[in-house]
Amino acid sequence: MVSMNTVLFISFALFSIGVLGVLIRRNALIILMCVELMLNAANINLIAFARHSGTVAGQAFALLVMGLAAAEVAIGLALVVALYRKKDTVQVDDINLLKG
Amino acid sequence: MPFAQALWESLVGDSPLVLPVLFLWLTGTLMLWPLDSWLLKRMPKERWSFITAVILIVTCWFVINAPNAIGFADMFRVDGVTKGFQIICIGAGVFTTALGHKQFDALKEHTAEYYALILFSISGMLLLVGATDLVSMFFALELMSLCIYILVGYLRTQERSVEAGIKYFLLGAFSSGILLFGISLLFAATGGTTTNLERLGQAIALAPGNHDLLVFSGVLMVLIGFAFKVAAVPFHMWSPDVYEGAPTPVTAFLSMAPKAAALAAFLRVFGAGFHSVSENWIAPLSFIAAASMILGNIAALRQQSIKRMLAYSSIAHVGYMLLGILSMDTQAGTQAVWFYMTTYLFMQAGAFAVVIHLQGVEEGERIEDFRGLGKRHPLLAFAMMVFMLSLAGIPPLLGFFSKFYLFRLAIIEGFVTLTVIALLTSVIAAYYYLNVVAQMYFKEPDEKELGRMGICTSTVVTVCSAVLLVGTAFGPWIMKWVGKIL
Repeated sequence: MVSMNTVLFISFALFSIGVLGVLIRRNALIILMCVELMLNAANINLIAFARHSGTVAGQAFALLVMGLAAAEVAIGLALVVALYRKKDTVQVDDINLLKG
Repeated sequence: MPFAQALWESLVGDSPLVLPVLFLWLTGTLMLWPLDSWLLKRMPKERWSFITAVILIVTCWFVINAPNAIGFADMFRVDGVTKGFQIICIGAGVFTTALGHKQFDALKEHTAEYYALILFSISGMLLLVGATDLVSMFFALELMSLCIYILVGYLRTQERSVEAGIKYFLLGAFSSGILLFGISLLFAATGGTTTNLERLGQAIALAPGNHDLLVFSGVLMVLIGFAFKVAAVPFHMWSPDVYEGAPTPVTAFLSMAPKAAALAAFLRVFGAGFHSVSENWIAPLSFIAAASMILGNIAALRQQSIKRMLAYSSIAHVGYMLLGILSMDTQAGTQAVWFYMTTYLFMQAGAFAVVIHLQGVEEGERIEDFRGLGKRHPLLAFAMMVFMLSLAGIPPLLGFFSKFYLFRLAIIEGFVTLTVIALLTSVIAAYYYLNVVAQMYFKEPDEKELGRMGICTSTVVTVCSAVLLVGTAFGPWIMKWVGKIL
């Protein structure tokens, strides 16, 4: 049996990698992947603690989160494609029309 | 099949609670198919906005007649607060439909999708304001946001619309990642037993000492997630860019409906759920409120674009409304926030109606475009003056009354420093609102013809300015009525 502290440590590490990735990387697609990492970090917590307490609610929540992640990626990729058609780039540093 | 039968029975039994939402889903889907392919050939496209408005009014009727109860395994609750905020969201949808009528009905394609997305995002808001469980709250929030990401980037041939869409999407997805991780930490703090707000509040208050860090970081991350959604400083960076880049009717929608829904959820989560661990969030939330008021108002001073100015001013108004959420007397706080949000709805809808009308003749984007409007179009200029003065909180208008009510509550609750900051920043705010009024009345006009105003826009302007002008006279009755229903 893995201890709950280990689970929390791993999920926190995964979450930190995701956050750092969003903040450091400049490619819109990689930012999208890092957001997925953050969602999956939360999923680990949900599943592990649901199993710990012997209830299923947390596991159902995790399943729904996966569905949500898919929907989010669909919209995100559509927007990235629209951006690429317009500007020929997916680097977020190059989208600087709006500022001030 | 006892399980399937039980599931079916509980779903059917609770369905009256979400009847408005089901109605929106059904009509929205019908609009996409088959109505879009079938009706398009037979009728002028202008009908879409009319159909949407009718659907929203019917939804409003459903909302008013919904029974007050809790259902879906304690995940959704209908009461006065839910209904009050649901009506604000629907009202914002009606205003947006009226305002977007000209621009979106003129699109060559994808008109029906625009209105269907508005209906879907409103259905998310209706669920969000009634959610009493972190799970239902999170998914309702996402349903609302996902539709709005598309709406912001809707004009995909315009570079700035796409850019605003992708900025909003990336930061919005980032913030929902933080929110979800916060929820999972709180779930962990209860030992994986519950996400229901009420039980969660009890469980984390009783959690053993070594869970302090877990509860603290969980609450903080949920707070950050919500602050992103309502655009409060320091999580506001997306809002000016998105407001400027989005199609103007969508900007109007964005500044009214999601804000009302997210604030209602804010009230439920922090007022009811995390009440027991308030020492964890009072200080950060006070900081966010003060920073929003100060930074929002100061940054608005140097804006040239009226959409950006309204974006910063809405950050400041969120700062004021957070005072109501800080209030320990949850009921009074809810009433104050609801009343403020309703007033704000009329002010924003009216101001954006004027901006959209001027934009139709290729101006109105910059504050300078309002030069001499008092001579060119006296009635429109007067209405705009009413909206600006009401946003600034000048006495005879309704905006003053709602601000007064909110600040009075904050003083009673003992947030004296925050109230002083709020009052001082309101004085700063008067400068940039009055600047627009000064441009209209004291600058010489350009020799330019203004187009005729559509019936929809002029109705919105008339209704909003009338409410703001005469509202204060009925102030005491309104407050008594609000006290009874919320």
